[in-house]
Amino acid sequence: MIPFAVASLVLLGSGVMAVRTRDLVHAVLWLGLALVATAGIYVTMDAGFMAAIQVLLYTGGIVTLMLFAVMLARPDAEAAPNGQLRAALAVAAVFAGVVSVVLRSPDATTGAHIETQVLGAVILNQLALPFEVLSALLLVAMIGAIVLARKKDA
Amino acid sequence: MNPWLAGALWGLVVVTGAMIVAAWSTWFERKFAGAMQNRPGPTEVGPVGLLQPIADLLKLLQKADIIPRTADPVLFNVAAPLGLILVLATLAVVPWAPGLVPADLDIGVLFALSISSLMVVPVFMAGWGSNNKYALLGGMRAIAQAVSFEVPLLLAALVPIILTGSFRISDIIAAQADGHWFALWPPGPGALAFVLFFLCSLAEANRIPFDIPEAESELVAGITTEYTGMKFGLLYLAEYMHTLVSSIMAAALFLGGWDGPGPDGPHWLLIKSLLLFAGIFWVRWSFLRFRGDQLMNLAWKKGIPLGLAVVMASALWVHFT
Repeated sequence: MIPFAVASLVLLGSGVMAVRTRDLVHAVLWLGLALVATAGIYVTMDAGFMAAIQVLLYTGGIVTLMLFAVMLARPDAEAAPNGQLRAALAVAAVFAGVVSVVLRSPDATTGAHIETQVLGAVILNQLALPFEVLSALLLVAMIGAIVLARKKDA
Repeated sequence: MNPWLAGALWGLVVVTGAMIVAAWSTWFERKFAGAMQNRPGPTEVGPVGLLQPIADLLKLLQKADIIPRTADPVLFNVAAPLGLILVLATLAVVPWAPGLVPADLDIGVLFALSISSLMVVPVFMAGWGSNNKYALLGGMRAIAQAVSFEVPLLLAALVPIILTGSFRISDIIAAQADGHWFALWPPGPGALAFVLFFLCSLAEANRIPFDIPEAESELVAGITTEYTGMKFGLLYLAEYMHTLVSSIMAAALFLGGWDGPGPDGPHWLLIKSLLLFAGIFWVRWSFLRFRGDQLMNLAWKKGIPLGLAVVMASALWVHFT
């Protein structure tokens, strides 16, 4: 309970800071901390594999790329508030609705410990088709990105 | 035993041990470089200069702690300790002998890899927070390099995982018992994966020949340019520690860990990792650094195809044996 509370507080605090801070670099770093705290919540739920993948892909991968983009762009001026408060509130309301529906479904509260090996077997056997479709989707996105990036010198 | 107490005790032992090895490896490196360049190296402090690391520590502690006026003080101050903490955290999953491991996680390899993927964050903090063009360029180079070499590193680390069928490091070491080290067996993919893993972890740790982020001839000292005193010491120590941890991981994943001729035990893992560590110094004082584009070519055009090939080869090996 205490680890969960600590991870949740860090997650909420760093999430608020990521939105509130005017410094783009700080915002990205707070986002990184929020993603690590999410991994911490996975750990308290006995989902170590998810936690490790969360840190590896989101903080180690995506936040790193964002930092790199920020470094190349060198934002000198402080970011002004984008005035999207109403849209943000609408998104938050939709998210709260989805969460409340999920929490009421019987599958959500079992809290069963899933071995990493079992998880791997399920993904590569029963869920093999969606898994492969997902990787094809990522491949399409990658090829699209390359095409867009090469447009000028073609 | 109470898990908090056990964790504290393990932390104390492992961190102290790693710090001692890292501190005296600076002495070893200077002696080693001296021998290669036909000069004596440190000789003045203690017998054959053995007390030099202590003298260096005392010197660093006395230096003024300067924070540049235009720096981002939070990022600048957090970067150095954060780097060291992340590197040391990896040691939590390294098993020294059967049952002798701080935390025997069933996702041990993934834990170590995901922690080491965070290492670019303190590097970025130092590079950006210093608000110095050389530090920023060093940080950019370090991140570009880390992102590029991350992929072949993960692919190479998959090989022992596929061969063992487990993410748990103690399972991987147990599968290499009696000399069936993955660097030697199966012939081919194991040896290639070992070389690839080791080279990529050198690149992640920014060691020569992959040290363009530091490149003193063009970037002063890269991300450490603005640092003074003990904060500089911590950044420097973190880099050493990263190299040491990479050597330990390579020894555990590919060289059989605690397995060896005669009685098995922690001493074998220590001997193997220290030999790899010394090998890194050897490389450092023998080779020149790569150019940036050569590094990128090495990672994307050679490392990733080679990584994919060894992963496929080891999967086929497991399938057909």
